[in-house]
Amino acid sequence: MIKLPVLVMALLALAGCGTREDSLVITGSSTIAPLMTELAERYEETTGVQVDVQSGGSGRGISDTRQGLADFGMVSRALKAEEGDLTAHLIGRDGIAMIVNALNPVTRLNDAQIVAIYTGEQQSWSAFGGNDAAINVVHKADGRSTQELFLEHFGLSNDRVKPDMVIGENQQGIKAVAGDVNAIGYVSIGTAIYEADAGAPLRLLPLSGVPATLEQVDQGHYPLSRELNLVSQGELSDAASEFLAFITDPGQAGIYHDYYFLPVSR
Amino acid sequence: MRWPDRLAGVIGALLLLAVLVPMGLMLWSLLEQGAGVISVDFLLDDPRQAGRAGGIAALLVSTGWILAVCLLVAAPMGLGCALYLSEQVPAGTRRAQWLGGTLDMLAAVPSIVYGLFGYQFFAISLGLGFSILSGGLALALMVLPLMIRSAEQALRAVPFSYRQAGEALSISRWGWVRRILIPQAAPGIAVGIILSIGRALAETAVLLFTAGYVLRRPDSLLDSGRALSVHIYDLAMNVPGGMPRAAATGLVLVAILVILNLLVRRWLHPAQGAWQ
Repeated sequence: MIKLPVLVMALLALAGCGTREDSLVITGSSTIAPLMTELAERYEETTGVQVDVQSGGSGRGISDTRQGLADFGMVSRALKAEEGDLTAHLIGRDGIAMIVNALNPVTRLNDAQIVAIYTGEQQSWSAFGGNDAAINVVHKADGRSTQELFLEHFGLSNDRVKPDMVIGENQQGIKAVAGDVNAIGYVSIGTAIYEADAGAPLRLLPLSGVPATLEQVDQGHYPLSRELNLVSQGELSDAASEFLAFITDPGQAGIYHDYYFLPVSR
Repeated sequence: MRWPDRLAGVIGALLLLAVLVPMGLMLWSLLEQGAGVISVDFLLDDPRQAGRAGGIAALLVSTGWILAVCLLVAAPMGLGCALYLSEQVPAGTRRAQWLGGTLDMLAAVPSIVYGLFGYQFFAISLGLGFSILSGGLALALMVLPLMIRSAEQALRAVPFSYRQAGEALSISRWGWVRRILIPQAAPGIAVGIILSIGRALAETAVLLFTAGYVLRRPDSLLDSGRALSVHIYDLAMNVPGGMPRAAATGLVLVAILVILNLLVRRWLHPAQGAWQ
């Protein structure tokens, strides 16, 4: 019984010995964390520098960076005006494309029309100049970041949405719309662009008149997208800037695509 | 049997079924999605590509260490507090009610509060950072009220006549506690420990903020290490295509809980005389 407190004290004393010199700590957005974990894994294999990635939300990324607990914070949005003390390094973008089947004659819908479809106010394609057929509304399951982004953009709450089909993964959404002339859905924009390019019978609808293309997203014009940032405070250390260069190298684009993100083009 | 009794029996059986069926369905859905992934390699390989490939060996190591720290702190402290309460604070007094009520309130505090406290106190104030130690200590805080209350109840349930018999034989206080009280209460204490292990293994919120998210195999107690529950959450919610591996990890977690349950029950059962 006496040994235990001694052990705990010894462990606490050990804690005083600082962390390794050649290591980086990155904390923040749970959307970016898995991607960053994988990039960090590659970086460690290549350079031997230890990179610890911690999740917990964009807000935590910002506060940890401010307190000096993290070398980088992961923030899945643009920095706000009051966060001007931090520097944002754009690493990629995440966005949503509204998709319909390529055989559907409807080529554009405005935001109000999309809201009307998703709330069940309009149930037939004929209202938008399409076929006289019922609209099959494909919606994402709770907790998916794509769903949050979609609801936020259209000012909807989830209980107002009247879906015909609820899906989880992006691939499911692609299949649902590619296989049904009367379906409408939304998936991560990276997925939609790759699948359409690969020949899936999909049409990406423009949003607020902006076509859903790689270029528009890249230039930040496409409305339904968000920035994926690493934020830092003050001068970047050598280790930090080397890591940043590594993860934004075009050679790493494949990993971004695996997470349906668009890497920033250099 | 009279018909109201029979009816009550049927209703009871139906209610039991209503509880068991969803549990069966839950296990079935885990099996359906995850069984294809489980293999010996899944248990022995470290995760790669943020968990999209490889296995869960590093996570088993991290989870084991976190649980070990938690129990090493919580079990002796819990038993100590319970002994104080049962031996020194007579039941029914204001002090007993006040202390018991406080413990019950602490047990009802949402785990995320322990997580945030653990993050602020162990990780930042004590400088332990995101580490197995921070995680284990925060978990220990979380399970202590439960552990104390269940051990206290078990100790108080030991018949008063045993104490009288002990005193008649003029056994020392320590001898009474060590040789009679604790062995007699062992099954109840064991249940408390099992419940605590269950809560600790299922905990995500506390660990995400303390033990952290790192997938590497920990070298020391001061390294960050991801627990199985955090891994399941992350794979299911944030990693594209992560669901089968999340389900497989869930199956492993369920299996661990069942095995621990059986082991602790067997070890501490007085019929086996393990505490003598």
